[in-house]
Amino acid sequence: MKKGWYLLLLLILLVFPFQGLAAKKTVINYWTHTDDNRTRIEDKYIAEFEKLHPNVEIKRVVNEASKMGDIVLTAFAANNGPDIFNLPIEQEYGYICNKRVAPVDYRALGYKSLAALKDDYAANTFEPVTMNGKIYGLPLELTNWCIFINKKIFRSVGLDPEKDYPKTWEEMADVSEKLVLRNGEILIRRGFDFRYPYYLVSFLPMVQQLGGDLISADGKTAIVNDQAWIKALNFMKEWGPHGRNLGSPTYINARKIFDKDNNDIAMCLSGFYQEGRLKNDNPEFFDSGEWMVVPFPVFEDAVENQGCAFYGHYLMVNDSIPKKKQKIAWEFIKYMLDHPMEYLTEVNLIQPRKNLVNSEFFKELPYTDVFMDDMERSKAVFLHQNGYQFEQYIREAIEAVMLSGTKTEEALKTLKRNIQEVLDEE
Amino acid sequence: MVVISKGVSTVPERIIRKKNDFTDDGKRRKNWSMERKKARWGWIFVAPTLLFFMVFSFYPMFNAFYMGLTKKDLLSLNPPKFIGVKNYTYLFKSADFWNSMKDTALFTLGTFLLLLVFSLILAAFIISRKKLKTLLQMLYYSPALLSSVVAALIWLLIFDPRGLANQTLNFICQSPGIDHKWLAASNMLRLSTIIVYFWKYIGYFTIIFVAGIGSIPISIHEAAEIDGASRWQDFWCITFPLIKPTTLLVSVMAMIQCLKTFSTQYLFTTAGAPTKPINVITLNIYNTAIRDHRIGRASAMSMILFLIMIVLTWFQFKISKSDDVTYM
Repeated sequence: MKKGWYLLLLLILLVFPFQGLAAKKTVINYWTHTDDNRTRIEDKYIAEFEKLHPNVEIKRVVNEASKMGDIVLTAFAANNGPDIFNLPIEQEYGYICNKRVAPVDYRALGYKSLAALKDDYAANTFEPVTMNGKIYGLPLELTNWCIFINKKIFRSVGLDPEKDYPKTWEEMADVSEKLVLRNGEILIRRGFDFRYPYYLVSFLPMVQQLGGDLISADGKTAIVNDQAWIKALNFMKEWGPHGRNLGSPTYINARKIFDKDNNDIAMCLSGFYQEGRLKNDNPEFFDSGEWMVVPFPVFEDAVENQGCAFYGHYLMVNDSIPKKKQKIAWEFIKYMLDHPMEYLTEVNLIQPRKNLVNSEFFKELPYTDVFMDDMERSKAVFLHQNGYQFEQYIREAIEAVMLSGTKTEEALKTLKRNIQEVLDEE
Repeated sequence: MVVISKGVSTVPERIIRKKNDFTDDGKRRKNWSMERKKARWGWIFVAPTLLFFMVFSFYPMFNAFYMGLTKKDLLSLNPPKFIGVKNYTYLFKSADFWNSMKDTALFTLGTFLLLLVFSLILAAFIISRKKLKTLLQMLYYSPALLSSVVAALIWLLIFDPRGLANQTLNFICQSPGIDHKWLAASNMLRLSTIIVYFWKYIGYFTIIFVAGIGSIPISIHEAAEIDGASRWQDFWCITFPLIKPTTLLVSVMAMIQCLKTFSTQYLFTTAGAPTKPINVITLNIYNTAIRDHRIGRASAMSMILFLIMIVLTWFQFKISKSDDVTYM
């Protein structure tokens, strides 16, 4: 009898640990930024994927877009990064340079070769994430920004939005002057205002229109064409409270209040995804036909007809996780991204898939032609290992001229010195 | 008659204790082994806390000191490269670093003095009330319960060009339409950060002063009253000298707190305010590490801040000659 008990105990001890082991799930941590529409569809994909793969659990963690860069960076610095994440490519580029992300496992995605994968997407889609012949991410979205206009506000000051919309930056300042409402020095309604923290996307192209650039072609010299920079910085200075007082980084982000249609802002700079948010936040305004999208302006004496830089959010996989887990991560990414139409209709994100961008459905969506035409004359966002750092230096220069009244030449000198110091250290 | 004596013990306590450990014929008292036993248990009880402190405080400190002597990119997989004191020499030559020192000094001086003076005044005011003492303490303390992030977000709305700050100031000054540029002009931006910090921590330090003032025996005040002291004389000649240890505690805590200020400046700059006027050392450390990925240089900066805190704290203890106050 006693022997029987011992045998039973032994059996329990042997079987239970293995049962536990068999039931142990592979957990994939997926970190992404806030977007309610995307959360809704991705939660659905996660549930479906987990049903197809009972031993896999996907943990989707959402963070504020503005904080994502810092959060992912500190996690990777502590060797505790997420298994899957997405950031704007200008921030992700450093992860590729430092070999922190894994190359795309095209077999796990169901492709026979990298060429077959590339063939599914529009030309140059993978250029920003290609290094030494390997691809390091799949595009969640490819975005460029154009000008959104509230037609009612235009008409309220006697402007015809279809004809009088600003084509040049000089016109943008003049039209804004007509649209602006002030109580003394305080702006009650702005005509237009910039997307202030994103200077590589929207400000650098303005400098490039004038023939300038951030670093030389050989990557050794900071600031190409001082005159172009001075003109662009002076434009920002004139825009700010010390100039014509048309806007400032200290006012509420123009893009966020545009959807409300409460006479706060007449124009803002945003991507195609803004249409989805507008539809969600204010369906009445969306359906009213009282808004429109026009191309990114150029300077009157521009030497290059260039639109706002286009950038992408690429889904990447942490290189430090086991290969088996990497494969599951790529399979999950593929599962999500295999719904480009839903991403377009539900979230207004454009995945640059050939079959999507060439479809009639896509072409008939409001203002996709404006975005696509602008993208054709645009460059990809500036990419560099220290790109994010450079963007902050540009920000300091713009803040200095706009808000602190610093002389443009002095701000440019500081900007040049800071960037040159980084280049010299490389 | 009230007598206040400072620095009382003439015979050091340890000599008295040693004397008591022996009998008259020079033999060690039996309770010595009992004390050692107690001490051993004491060590056992504090060991977890000590271990926790070593892991989460001492180790990061030593690690930061080591990292300060190295060059390391935060994202790179390469190990840190030892470069000696190069980070320190770079910082002492850097205009950006000295600007941070200036911003930190301006913020600390502006906030620390205000906090010290006004928390004492508020504490005296609360103590002097016969009613609503607890309610007043709760009201003053409530901002300290808010997270710094929430506090800064509330103040961002207030300092918005169309917000309450401009409206109130323009109403008081009868200057409609003036934008005081709370988040844009350098000096106004510095003032804004000081206001937020002052608002958030004034209640916290007031409570400490209230506790300090409350610990003074009532008999001393009564004696002073019998001797004909006015309320002002009572405060200035009795209360103020007797709360010297509390004043020292508040001044050290407030100063360290001000030197470590970060979240207000961080949130203001992310909301569009210019960085240069409020680029305090902690913000510079954060930007150097997170934005520039230079963890070695950021660690060197944090070591300098640590040294500044130690020196200033030592200096405060030195000038206050802070022996315990006793009542005779």
